[in-house]
Amino acid sequence: MNVASQMPVPVTARSADPAGKPEFLGFGLGLRAQHYDEILNGSPAIDWFEVISDNYMIPGGQPLRMLERIRERYPLVMHGVSLSIASTAPPDFAYLGNLRDLARRVEPKWISDHLCWTGVHGKNLHDLLPFPYSREALDHVVSRVQLVQDFLGRALVLENVSTYVQFTNSEMTEWEFLSELSRRSGCWLLFDVNNVYVSAFNHGYDALTFLEGIPADRVVQFHMAGHSHMGTHIVDTHDHPVCEDVWELYAAALKRFGWVSTIIERDDHIPPLDEIMVEVERTRAVAHQILPPLVPRGR
Amino acid sequence: MSDLARQQSEFQRAILTGDDTILAEIPDSTREKRETLFGVYRYAYSSRLVEAMRNDHKLLHVYLGDEMFNEMGHAYVAAYPSHHPNLRWFSGHLPDFLKSAEAYSKYPILADLAALEKALNDAFDAVEAPVVTVADMAAFAPQAWAALTFKPHPSARRLDLSTNATAVWFALKADEDPPEPAVLEEPNRLLAWRQDVTPVFHQLSAEEAMMWDEASSGIPFGVLCSMLATYDDPDGAAARGAGYLHQWVTAGLLQSVASGERSGE
Repeated sequence: MNVASQMPVPVTARSADPAGKPEFLGFGLGLRAQHYDEILNGSPAIDWFEVISDNYMIPGGQPLRMLERIRERYPLVMHGVSLSIASTAPPDFAYLGNLRDLARRVEPKWISDHLCWTGVHGKNLHDLLPFPYSREALDHVVSRVQLVQDFLGRALVLENVSTYVQFTNSEMTEWEFLSELSRRSGCWLLFDVNNVYVSAFNHGYDALTFLEGIPADRVVQFHMAGHSHMGTHIVDTHDHPVCEDVWELYAAALKRFGWVSTIIERDDHIPPLDEIMVEVERTRAVAHQILPPLVPRGR
Repeated sequence: MSDLARQQSEFQRAILTGDDTILAEIPDSTREKRETLFGVYRYAYSSRLVEAMRNDHKLLHVYLGDEMFNEMGHAYVAAYPSHHPNLRWFSGHLPDFLKSAEAYSKYPILADLAALEKALNDAFDAVEAPVVTVADMAAFAPQAWAALTFKPHPSARRLDLSTNATAVWFALKADEDPPEPAVLEEPNRLLAWRQDVTPVFHQLSAEEAMMWDEASSGIPFGVLCSMLATYDDPDGAAARGAGYLHQWVTAGLLQSVASGERSGE
């Protein structure tokens, strides 16, 4: 059951923006196999699910069947981890073809991935790797985003990643890079609140400065997740509940960006659904507490 | 080569080989040295891949224990760097690695256990296809049966194991102590496939394994029965062949059956 209609947010607000900005979906959760049965048997009050595209880029079997059943009940968004949009290696067109095939099957509200690279020279490191925020990198990523958007026939949504190192040849900040990338390529932004917090701590800048540097009209999704604090740095492990500092940053993000489709992301130590639902409900409650009622577009 | 391409090459080499050249272009943070910060990527690389292997080979992990599995996993990561964007396929060479790597090839039970788990994993998410039903078979007139050919379901995987890996697999699955590993006098012939959404496997006699292998290559039923006649009582060959075929149909092991020369879908 999609509970968006039970929210005090007018359903008509969900209609797509004429300029192509993805619609507001409400408050959701990253779909994980551990929750399939609870979702299908319990119809939890979740507005939408984000699915890891790569987990369903397989020939067949239970995962795809489950996805079909969940798709019948909930809006879905596809979120990938292997697009490697910033890689200087030639694009993996087989991967893109599989992604496009899955999108035809799932009909997601949008397709997202990360602003990072995952490997070069035919190897894949299966990590979200950083690169310098240089003019050369910006030109490169803009052209790759445009190519992928043409290939998929839709605008991409790109997420800021948690990083642990910076480069001496960076020529701009991460938020300046994201802003320019979105402006020049037309891609939308997935603002991962936890990743901003992690990178801000690791690199010694103010997370609010990052937040203020992102154009408010380009953000279409929030991620909320937990991390592991190592004292001198933070590792983005997605295996803990969202910490209070990140909830504070979420509140600030709501004030800047307004009503933005939000999910809770958990990739490890995944608790039962009712436990993680507490966090989903908190994303909703904080938004309703902070923001004025959503006025439908066009009124 | 662009500067970005050079940096990505050096960054990747630093993760894969430990070459620290890239660190000259990475500053310390206010709280931590660059070596430690870069170490997050080095640690994540191999630990993420070994974790993927643990997920794919849960019983091999139980059999070896954390320490030995991790050691084996890191050796595999070094020998078979990932070339595929999807982690799902990363551990696919593990049976070959365990068969060929000096440290593990002397324990053939390991390669067999990995091969069995791989067959079940591959069956789990194999491509969807229809299955032949008993009613489909009943539609063929008796005189047509000799010319029938069969197409296996795409989830079906045949494998021959040289050890008692299935006994070890059953014990580990039941959370019991596994038997001592042993090399068998005759290979253990297995057929793994997916029933509905669940991967399963079945142990075959030499005769049934021969018939399955030959049927999979398109040999018609009449010839299969003649081949069965060389294995056991010739007079009962047709009945045995029909019996095996019935089991395959009821188990959902066949995708299609065709009469005559045409290989049907």
